[in-house]
Amino acid sequence: MDVPPISPLIFYRDPKAALAFLERAFGFETRLLVDDGQGGVIHSESAFEGHVVMVSGPPSGKWASPLDLDGKRTGSVHVQVPAGLDALCGRARAAGARIEREPADQPYGDRVFTCLDPEGHSWSFGQTLQVMSADEMAKTTGRVIQEKL
Amino acid sequence: MAHNTGFQPSVIYQDPRAAMRWLEAAFGFEVAIFIEDAAGRFVHCQMRYGDGLVSVGQEWDEPFKSPLKLGGKNTQLTSLTIDSDVDAHCERARAAGAVIVAEPETQFYGDRSYRCRDPEGHYWSVGQTVEEVTREAAEERMPGLKITGWV
Repeated sequence: MDVPPISPLIFYRDPKAALAFLERAFGFETRLLVDDGQGGVIHSESAFEGHVVMVSGPPSGKWASPLDLDGKRTGSVHVQVPAGLDALCGRARAAGARIEREPADQPYGDRVFTCLDPEGHSWSFGQTLQVMSADEMAKTTGRVIQEKL
Repeated sequence: MAHNTGFQPSVIYQDPRAAMRWLEAAFGFEVAIFIEDAAGRFVHCQMRYGDGLVSVGQEWDEPFKSPLKLGGKNTQLTSLTIDSDVDAHCERARAAGAVIVAEPETQFYGDRSYRCRDPEGHYWSVGQTVEEVTREAAEERMPGLKITGWV
């Protein structure tokens, strides 16, 4: 299997519903599903642009859905898309994603929106409008920007 | 911003600067971009590993928490796929203080992988494909599993 170097694994109470949502809302494609035979998903891969996010659940032990943690989460996932960011946001909204930040141009040259999926995992999507150097970003953002420690 | 197409996990820490140093020592991550405000406060960091990027985040908004604040619970895990020796990778992580929760082992689907916990309780899985396994072979090794879409 063609696996990219970094993939998030996300825990859902209802992993099959989550995979269906990711297809409907974001256009991902479920390309691998390992079913435990009891409605749970041991492992799955949802693909987009040749990269994958993995979905598993229902979680137990140290794993949890944000639904189990009063909406809290220990991370999020960012997806960089080649084109069509505003249309993607419309599609996600229509599928039931809760848009937290509407698409907006950022001072670092990207256009970005963020949303929550039905279990409260946070997703952000970005499209590069203008490739900027660290110096240019420092000017537009007023931040100190380093590319090395 | 540093870019690649595809998925970029963000991992939330109480002490993101310590996390940056730790991820460098344990896994060999390199800083792709590190942003501080004019007062020297941490704003944002992306670290690179191979072609992939990970954001090292802070607890910038109420719902975003380190596992330290959630009784060690995690809502996501980050998986790294490497093309070099998993056992050596694991030893480097262990030496940097990673808690190895699953020692390197060759899995039924043909990857050799280990899993560890970082100082704030995030989990990382690191694997290398060491054997090409067909779906039929995988199902034979793990009776009871129903596998769809194995390519």
